[in-house]
This record gives sequence, C-alpha cells and structure tokens, in this order.
Amino acid sequence: MNIFLAALRTAIDAGTVVVLAGMGELLTERVGVLNLGQEGLIGIGAVTAVIVADQVSSPWIALIAGMLAAGVLGFVFATSVVVVRTNQVLSGLAVVLIGVGLSNQLGNDYQGSPVTHTFEAFEIPILADIPQIGPALFDHNIIVYLSYVALPVLVAIVLFRTRHGMNLRAVGENPAAADAAGIDVTGMRLLYATIGAALSGAGGAFLMLSFTPVWSVNVARGRGWVALAVVIFAAWRPSLLVFGALLFGAMISLGFIAQQQNWGIPSFVLAMLPFLVTLALIILPAALARFGFKVRSSVAPASLATPYFREER
Amino acid sequence: MSSVAAGRDLAPRVRLQRRLQVDPRRAALMRIGGVVVALLAAGLALAVTGRPALSLAGEAVTSTFGERLGLEQTAIIATPILLDAIAVAVSLRMRLWNIGVEGQFYMGAWAAAGVGIYVDAPAPLLLVLMALAGAVGGALWIAVPAIARAYWNVNEIITTLLLNFVAVTWVEWFSIDLWRDREAEVIQATPLVGARLPDLFGSTVLHVGFLLPLLLAAFFWVVFRYGRWGYEVDMIGGNPRAAAFAGISVRRRIVTVMLISGAIAGISGMVHLAGATGRLQGTISNGYGLSGFIVAALAGASFLGLVVGGLFIALLLHSGIVLQTSGLSVYIVVAVYGVVLVGIAVAEMAARYRLVIGRRPPAAPGAERAPP
Repeated sequence: MNIFLAALRTAIDAGTVVVLAGMGELLTERVGVLNLGQEGLIGIGAVTAVIVADQVSSPWIALIAGMLAAGVLGFVFATSVVVVRTNQVLSGLAVVLIGVGLSNQLGNDYQGSPVTHTFEAFEIPILADIPQIGPALFDHNIIVYLSYVALPVLVAIVLFRTRHGMNLRAVGENPAAADAAGIDVTGMRLLYATIGAALSGAGGAFLMLSFTPVWSVNVARGRGWVALAVVIFAAWRPSLLVFGALLFGAMISLGFIAQQQNWGIPSFVLAMLPFLVTLALIILPAALARFGFKVRSSVAPASLATPYFREER
Repeated sequence: MSSVAAGRDLAPRVRLQRRLQVDPRRAALMRIGGVVVALLAAGLALAVTGRPALSLAGEAVTSTFGERLGLEQTAIIATPILLDAIAVAVSLRMRLWNIGVEGQFYMGAWAAAGVGIYVDAPAPLLLVLMALAGAVGGALWIAVPAIARAYWNVNEIITTLLLNFVAVTWVEWFSIDLWRDREAEVIQATPLVGARLPDLFGSTVLHVGFLLPLLLAAFFWVVFRYGRWGYEVDMIGGNPRAAAFAGISVRRRIVTVMLISGAIAGISGMVHLAGATGRLQGTISNGYGLSGFIVAALAGASFLGLVVGGLFIALLLHSGIVLQTSGLSVYIVVAVYGVVLVGIAVAEMAARYRLVIGRRPPAAPGAERAPP
C-alpha cells in the first residue's frame, strides 16, 4: 500500500470518533439543544468501555455500556436544560467538567493496560480485493462502516424524508409552532439530546475498543470540541459532517505519517495542525460568504440554545 | 383548540412562571445556595464512595486557615484565577463567552517570557515591557475569534476553545524545546525571566501581583457603573438590536471587548510568570482559566461578586491541592466544579422564575386566544 492510501486508511479511523460525536451533536442541535459537553461525553463513553471490556470479553457489550453511560449523563443534561430550562452553555460546560473529571478518576486504575477485546477489522469480500484503494477503504472494523455509511444515511433519511424528521426539525426551528401543531417539544428534545449523547459515548467507546485501545488521561484530546466545530462546518447536514470529520482525520493521519517518514516537521506543529484546520473550517466559509463568494450559508436551527416556555410564546 | 389540550390545561401541574422583577439580592442568595447545595451533593457522593468528606473538608480548612503560609498560597492561586475571571466577566457583560482564557493566559505568559528572557533592561522597565507583551500576546490570541464573531457571526465559544489546545502545545514546544534551559537541571522549562515581581508586605511567597486583580475589579466596577462605555457594553449585552438602533457600533464593540478580555487574560499569564513560577513551563496554568470561568459565571459577571467568588474558589482549589496529598485526586475536584456549575445554572433560573404548582388560574374574560 503506498503512503497516500495508508494515510487515507488512518484518516478514516481517526475521523470515526468525530463522525459519531458530531452526528450525536447534530441530532441534539437539530431539536434546538446545544450540548457543549461532547468532551465529557466522549470521556464517559471511553472509560465505561474500558471498565466493561475488562469485565466481559465482548467489545459489543462494552460499546453498548459506553453508550448507556453517556446517554444517562446526556439525559441528566437534557432534563436540566429542557425541563428546568437552565442556561445551555453553563450546563453544557458542566457536562464537560463532570465527564472529564469522572472519567479521569475512574480510568486511573486502567492507565497503561491495553484493552484486550477490541473490534477486529474485517475485509469486505470482493471490494477489499480492488487493487490499491481496496485495503484502504474496505478493511476496517464494523463500527467504522456503520459510522461512515449506515449512520449518516439513516440520519439523513430520518431528518429529511420522514414526517418524524420534519417534526424534529420543526422543534429546533420554531418550537412554538411545533407545539401548536401538537408536537411534544419537551419529549422530542429530551429524546434527541439523550440519543445524541449516547452517540458521542459510542465515539468514546470506539476510541478504546479500536483506535487507541489503551486508557490515557483526558482521553478525548479535544475531539469533542472538534466535533462541535464540524457540525457548524457541515451546516447541520449529515453528509457534510462525514466530510468534515474525514478532513480532521486526515490532519491526524498527516501527523502520524510525517513522524514515521521523518519529514522533519516538529511534532508540536503536527499536534497543533488539526485544531488550526478545524478553526479554519468554521471561519473560512463564513468569511468567504461575507466577501461575496458563493458558499452555502450555514444557518443554525433558529431556536438553538434557547429554552422553550409555552407560557411565554 | 382540541379537547385534549383543554383537558391538559385543567390538570394540576408544575410550571415555571417568570418573576416580574429580578431582585439582585435574591439572585445572589440563590447562587450561594446553589453552590452550597452542589458542594453538599458532591460531599455526599464522596461519602457514599467511602471517602470521609467531612474530615477531608476539615483538613482542608485547617491547612488553609491554620497557618499563614496556607493563606498566602491561596492568594497566589487566587491571583491568576481572579484576573482570568475578570477577563471572562468583561466579555460576559456583552453575553460573549470567552472560554479561551486558558489559551490567552498561556500566550500572555509566553510573550512575557520571551521579553523577560531575551531583553536586557533594568527590572522595573523590564516588568513593564513584560506586562505589555503579555497583554498583546493575549489580545492577539483572541483577535481571530473576535473578528470572526463580530463580522462573520462565527460562534466564539468554539473558536476560543479550539485555540486553547493550540496555545498549550505552543508553550510546550517553547518550554521543552526551543527556549529550554539547557544549563540548569530543570528539564522542562525555560530559564528564569530577568525580572520578578517583588514580594508583598515582606511576605516570602506572596507577590504584589495579588493587588492587581483587586484594583482591576474595582476599576471595571466603576467603568460599568458610571462609565458611558460600560453602559453601552451592557446595553449590547441586553439587546444588541436595540443598541444598534441607538447608534452604537456593535461590531466594533464586540472586537474591543474581546481584545480587552484577551489582554487581561494575557496579563494574568505574565503576572503568574513574573510573580510565581519565574519560568515558562508547559503546566504553567494549572487550570486557572477554567477556574476563572467558573468564578465569572458564579458571580454573574459582577465585578465585586467576582472577587468574593474568586477567593472562595481559590480556597477550594487550595484545599484540592491539600486533598490531593490525602489521596483524593485533582480529577474529583474537576468533577465537583462541574456539579457547582450545575448549581449555578439552576440558581440562575430560580432567581428569574418561580415554580407554580397547581391549577392554572382561570383565564380572564376576553383573554382567550383567537383560534389559529
């Protein structure tokens, strides 16, 4: 496999966390809830996966446990912002702190011991035999395929092709109108903020069960914040989100390759690069649009981060 | 309206009703109550998991108040926390969330270290130059998010935060590699800077930098209470559209306020460098930006409340360091911060809304909505 294809292969693996967490955040934001807590949710998902994988020898159970744990934290957050209607920025940052603090504490005992039961890559028959690109694209584990293909397609169909998805988007755009139309705004927001958190937890679990299967402090390493940025870059669309996550993965992959090949770029620069590129991803389109370039405008759901009070509509 | 909806209206239920007026004293009490409840909850959680929370708290308090050194160390921690909190509060006045104070702190410390190591000048002048460098470093670090927010409406929360990761790596690079002290045995830090802040009141550990946040808080309190500029910033925070109609240049204000916020965070880094550590190192901040953010949120961007809150959090953090030596990790302290933040968020709601339990009062005649 040549170096470019090896890089692509790593980029796909590295971007998976961002696809999962980003898709979770996308669903959450589509119903009008801003959950800044991605960093914490990934941490909780990861640490739960490590602990459970140590007890049972199935990566699947560990993955589901990670999703459940992050889902519980997400549900608590959702209750706080949707039912009590607390400030979403404050509550979201609280999720970061609780998630990061708890996961670091719980993971402390597992520091340095690799997870033994991870997801194994399997080659998709026929496709993986395509010369060159076959091994790069079709030799990953099942979670990668699910994240890049099944999940975005499913989310896109639900969002844009079903009545339920239309209701979902209506809750995020204009909750008062949705409420008047008989849609359960509170229920919808609770449901999708919880599902979204569980998906972010899956991202954390994936880190531990496949990508870097050993616990380390601050396991999310900023990927949660990157996921938040990629949702904006993607203009709240599942298809573009996959692309943004892949770009981030490519930057991580570039770092690996540059070190492997001894290109002489300081490792510090390589460590900064993914964050700078992510920053550019959200600033450049907005700037270009302002300077008259034709860029698809990225407009957030209208009620994002605003609590809904039926009494005040 | 359908009969189902009408039936639901008659059922007894719990709902939130906006208070007509927000009493600032009640709001402050609510916040304090929120923090106390959060701390109690965290203590209970610790007790349940088998850690004697009460005796730990006692230990922390006695080690802080029991000796002068404890108080002085608390003040050393309080200095960067208070300065960072002022930085956050200035932007929060405009409802802008600068969660990049940590990064601006790092870049301020970095710029000040560059001047302090490589510029040869008498100590007082060098300190002034370092402070200037710190302010510029911090302000430049927030410049891109500020412009992006003001002119292209890019969410400042995420941009300022992403830059934290870059700043930490940047400072690591310089302290471990480029500017590393190769003569001393210190492995992962730069040489000492050329000038240090003098000690306060003949103290052996506490530097005069501790006075800066107190003066700055008083300054901003006056600016926002009596100044035209402060009034306009508050007005934009309250209602940017109305402010724009009143002829205030909202975009320019966003940029200036964010630059000032970044500059204060940068000075905070300089003060901590020249006052406490003396060398630039990868771990120079110890999460002060985060603590500063919590403090500003706790104080609701009030500059007087912030001083009280900052000293309180510094106490908490200092006891955290003490607790660490008694086997409770710093991670737990971070999680407790999170719980405290929830307490603040709920208290903020409780100050503005009241819970109404029971039936909805009968609608006044003629108050019914026209059918859609």
